[in-house]
Amino acid sequence: MRDSKPQVDSHQPLDRLREILLSEDREALQRIEQILENREALSERVSPIVEEHLEFLRQNFPKEFREVVDRQIDVKLKDSQDEILNVIYPVLGRMIRKYITHQFQMLKENIDRQIKKTFSRQGIFGIFRRRKSSEEILSEADPMHIEEVYLIQRDSGLLLGIASQQQTMDQDAVAGMFTAIKAFVEDAFRREQEELASIEYENYKIFIQNFPAYYLAVAISGSVSAKEKDQLASRLLRFAEEEVLQLPSEVTDTVRTGFSQKLEHWFFTDKT
Amino acid sequence: MISKKIILTGSFGVGKTSLFNQFIYNRFDDKYLTTIGVKVNKKVIEIDGKELSLLIWDIAGEVSQDKVPNSYFLGASGIVFVFDLTRPSTYKNIANEIKYLQEIGDPNSIIKVVANKSDLVDEEKINEVAAEIQRPWDVITSAKTGENVQELFRELGRELIDAAE
Ligand SMILES: Nc1nc2c(ncn2[C@@H]2O[C@H](COP(=O)(O)OP(=O)(O)OP(=O)(O)O)[C@@H](O)[C@H]2O)c(=O)[nH]1
Ligand SMILES: [Mg+2]
Repeated sequence: MRDSKPQVDSHQPLDRLREILLSEDREALQRIEQILENREALSERVSPIVEEHLEFLRQNFPKEFREVVDRQIDVKLKDSQDEILNVIYPVLGRMIRKYITHQFQMLKENIDRQIKKTFSRQGIFGIFRRRKSSEEILSEADPMHIEEVYLIQRDSGLLLGIASQQQTMDQDAVAGMFTAIKAFVEDAFRREQEELASIEYENYKIFIQNFPAYYLAVAISGSVSAKEKDQLASRLLRFAEEEVLQLPSEVTDTVRTGFSQKLEHWFFTDKT
Repeated sequence: MISKKIILTGSFGVGKTSLFNQFIYNRFDDKYLTTIGVKVNKKVIEIDGKELSLLIWDIAGEVSQDKVPNSYFLGASGIVFVFDLTRPSTYKNIANEIKYLQEIGDPNSIIKVVANKSDLVDEEKINEVAAEIQRPWDVITSAKTGENVQELFRELGRELIDAAE
């Protein structure tokens, strides 16, 4: 085989995605950039907020979590440096998520209790059935459906693995475009600390879960409830923790086949 | 088959997209449609019986390289810096531009300097540019006629395969 035929002829949807996301005139961006570039003005506004958050974390991050983290670090420190990040990251992510979910759950229970009290005091509790939230109704009418899951090397945007329900566009180029869009957005707004977490395009949503050396991007159709979103995020973290232990130095077919099979197994065959 | 990321960079209008289109689709367009953001596409080439998948990033040109989002260069095994033989402003600062790319690119990435639009200049002009440019180019191309376009990417591909072994 000499140089092969181009793998993609038409990138219509991709081009549109690109236009929608990127064609915002560069002028507007430059203006924003100028504002952001003025360090003093920016830091004056941002510093107190950051401080506040830090203080909150300092006071609220429970002791027992810190102990678990310490233990994890102890075990893994013996291994190589690069690996540490890859191993710790999903674990930390999962714990923080768990902590936040827990806090929310408590808040919710408090509210429920409060409501119950109020209604029973007024003697009308039991007359009204609990009504479904708009979110619940929506997600029943148009259930969430995972279309594709990409595992992508973070810097290069090279595709490490893919599981998909359809075989439409060139997935290598799509993985590259996701990465380019991520880089563009993250860079344009100088938010290295914050990372792009989702891209929405027509009735598709693309969720992104970032890790130090790679990220997972999930294309979803249908409407997604907060709970489903949460479950998806947990599953992505668990996948990362259990399956992406080591990243190869070269991206080869063998590497890709391996990860693709794992993704398929986790996201398209019922894994409980 | 291994996959590698290559990025095309340089000032606006020097012919990055034209080289990309010539390499991937064997086509050329006289119209100038400036690139917005990035376009990524793939081509698989074969070198000494080994397949190599090139993921090529065609980015929006900037007058100076420090205007390009740094993260575009991350993880790129090859950086192709293109300038336009007919526009001195696209190469007058080339030494600094290349130095900058060496600093922000991955330490192992291979940088190629490409002098494009050779079809628009005669030999005398080429010698003139060669005499005044701060850094010699690696290859002289024409995205219009296709001169040296496949060769540029094949040579880069060969070096990438050698480096991977
Ligand atoms: N004659 C000639 N024209 C060329 C050549 N390469 C590009 N052009 C023309 O130069 C113009 C700019 O080319 P592009 O490929 O769009 O340039 P670019 O570097 O992608 O520009 P940006 O996307 O704005 O950064 C177009 O009108 C092309 O037709 C060449 O080798 N010879
Ligand atoms: Mg272009």
